[in-house]
Amino acid sequence: MKVLVAVKRVVDYNVKVRAKADGSDVDLNNVKMAINPFCEIAVEEAVRLKEAGVATEVVAVSVGPKACQEQLRTALALGADRAVQVEVDGMVEPLVVAKLLKGVVEKESPQLVILGKQSIDGDNNQTGQMLGALTNMAQGTFASEVKVDGDSVTVTREIDGGLQTVKLALPAIVTTDLRLNEPRYASLPNIMKAKKKPLDVFTAADLGVAVSTHVTQVKVEPPAERQAGVKVEDVATLVDKLKNEAKVIA
Amino acid sequence: MEFAFTEEQVMIFDTADAFLSEVSTAPAIRESMQTDLGYDPQVWDRLCQEMYWQAILIPETHEGLGLGFVELVGILERMGMRLFNAPFADTAAVITALLKWGGEKQQAEYFARLMAGESATVAVIDRARQWSADAVTATATPTDSGYELSGTYRFVSHGHSADMVLVAARAPGSEGSQGVGLFLVDTNAEGLSRKRTPTMDQTRPLAELTLDKVNVAATASLGCPGNSGEALTQLLDVLSVFVSADQLGGSQASLDMTVDYLQERVQFGRTIASFQAVKHKCADMMLKVEASRSIVYYAACAIDEWVQGRYDAAQLAEAASMSKAYCSDAFFFVSGCGIQLFGGVGITEEYDIQLYFKRAKATETFLGAGAEHRERIAHMLLAGEC
Repeated sequence: MKVLVAVKRVVDYNVKVRAKADGSDVDLNNVKMAINPFCEIAVEEAVRLKEAGVATEVVAVSVGPKACQEQLRTALALGADRAVQVEVDGMVEPLVVAKLLKGVVEKESPQLVILGKQSIDGDNNQTGQMLGALTNMAQGTFASEVKVDGDSVTVTREIDGGLQTVKLALPAIVTTDLRLNEPRYASLPNIMKAKKKPLDVFTAADLGVAVSTHVTQVKVEPPAERQAGVKVEDVATLVDKLKNEAKVIA
Repeated sequence: MEFAFTEEQVMIFDTADAFLSEVSTAPAIRESMQTDLGYDPQVWDRLCQEMYWQAILIPETHEGLGLGFVELVGILERMGMRLFNAPFADTAAVITALLKWGGEKQQAEYFARLMAGESATVAVIDRARQWSADAVTATATPTDSGYELSGTYRFVSHGHSADMVLVAARAPGSEGSQGVGLFLVDTNAEGLSRKRTPTMDQTRPLAELTLDKVNVAATASLGCPGNSGEALTQLLDVLSVFVSADQLGGSQASLDMTVDYLQERVQFGRTIASFQAVKHKCADMMLKVEASRSIVYYAACAIDEWVQGRYDAAQLAEAASMSKAYCSDAFFFVSGCGIQLFGGVGITEEYDIQLYFKRAKATETFLGAGAEHRERIAHMLLAGEC
């Protein structure tokens, strides 16, 4: 079984991002970039399926500029067998990414596609679902457990207030939630092997997709600065403030 | 020499950052430094079995990775940033000695053991504060089957827990750098006793080793028996660079945590980081850190060149002494300034900056302080050796 796993290049989660002075975008100058954490979980799950003998090949795919090859190399170091980059410059919205991934799915014919449920930069949570609609494949989103059994995959989903288990016919799409697994560190031997693994590059035109824009980013601004706290004289004042100012208790 | 990091080196360093940020946190270090071992054995196992870091220098013919000293020093820098306290640098020094002077059989035997997770360290001097072949006092008396080693060694990093130790010992009656040999000894050998010694810096445990007529086979000798004085000097140079890398990491961490504190602490209605005098001090600290980084990575490249025979011992000595002299002074300066900028409370147990300050002082004198290394460079300059 071939597994296709999508990875996105985002600002490292440890970095405190800043808006540009003109508010047009986030300032990415000299900022450390990394694999989106949810995508890293997706890679880990695919590699575990291969180690368990369920998957025969893990292909990592990324949509973005040439720099995203760094994240593909990381995915290869984590255990993916080969990589595919769809080279697109500038901001790409989820619908376009889904269309490009559909093109890769048609080329690769994977039985399972694993994506992160969302990226920590755009927080859109759309690509996996859109890919499901475009490819007409079954989808199990927000997965906290994935079990492949023959021609189907059982996905435990994290939903509001509990868990839901669904069974999908393969080929299928799974998007990962935080608790699906704990990604490994790339070991030194695997880092060295990664540079020898194949990495193919396609353009949007190769996949027959026109890169178009439906959304314009108007403004980016940092969250409001947290105000200093106040000391209250006694418990009664605290309760009064919680009740009448913060309105968090009745 | 290549001065830019490759894609693989960046990935190795990023992975090291991530791994060490999980396993070498301040609470974890504080907990492990109170134990008899002085480090967390589970972390050491992960380092060997999961990360394969001990395989960096070991050639691919011995199942290692055959990488270079830049990769190693990059990891040592990150270990210094997080006060990592396992015997990684000491083991790497012994691997370097095996690479340079070990025979094929010795390499096969010891590399296999080190790859399996055993640790090693280096023992050189007793009471002398001079780190050189001249100061070796232990003796190696030839016997029918090998050598009989006797003597006491102090300041042996992780000597209380290492599985093997590379000791320097001299032929009876020899003086100076003449008659010195290097011997690999299992720490469970009959006649070898060891005890951990109290240290101000508890993040780097030291031990005292006593060898009382320890018999080793002739195959335990590295290089030319009785003629390894120069080899010992070179090994100490390599170890000095490893310690410098640790100091660089400590300097960077001291600067980072000080700047974080300065941006948080408010006085007279503004953060103290906004005061000009404080900014000047931080600029001086940063200057030291960046200059340390330049010399450490140059020294790492110099070791690579030396191992491959393109640099001679004098070029290695020059790079190592520059590195150790600058980084020792820089780490002490940066962590000391950190204590001052914390307003004095930095030296109290609650703050981590005091751990770096103590490590700075301990590593400053270990393998020779800045003044000693500057004097060595001065001698080399006057002799026309550099």
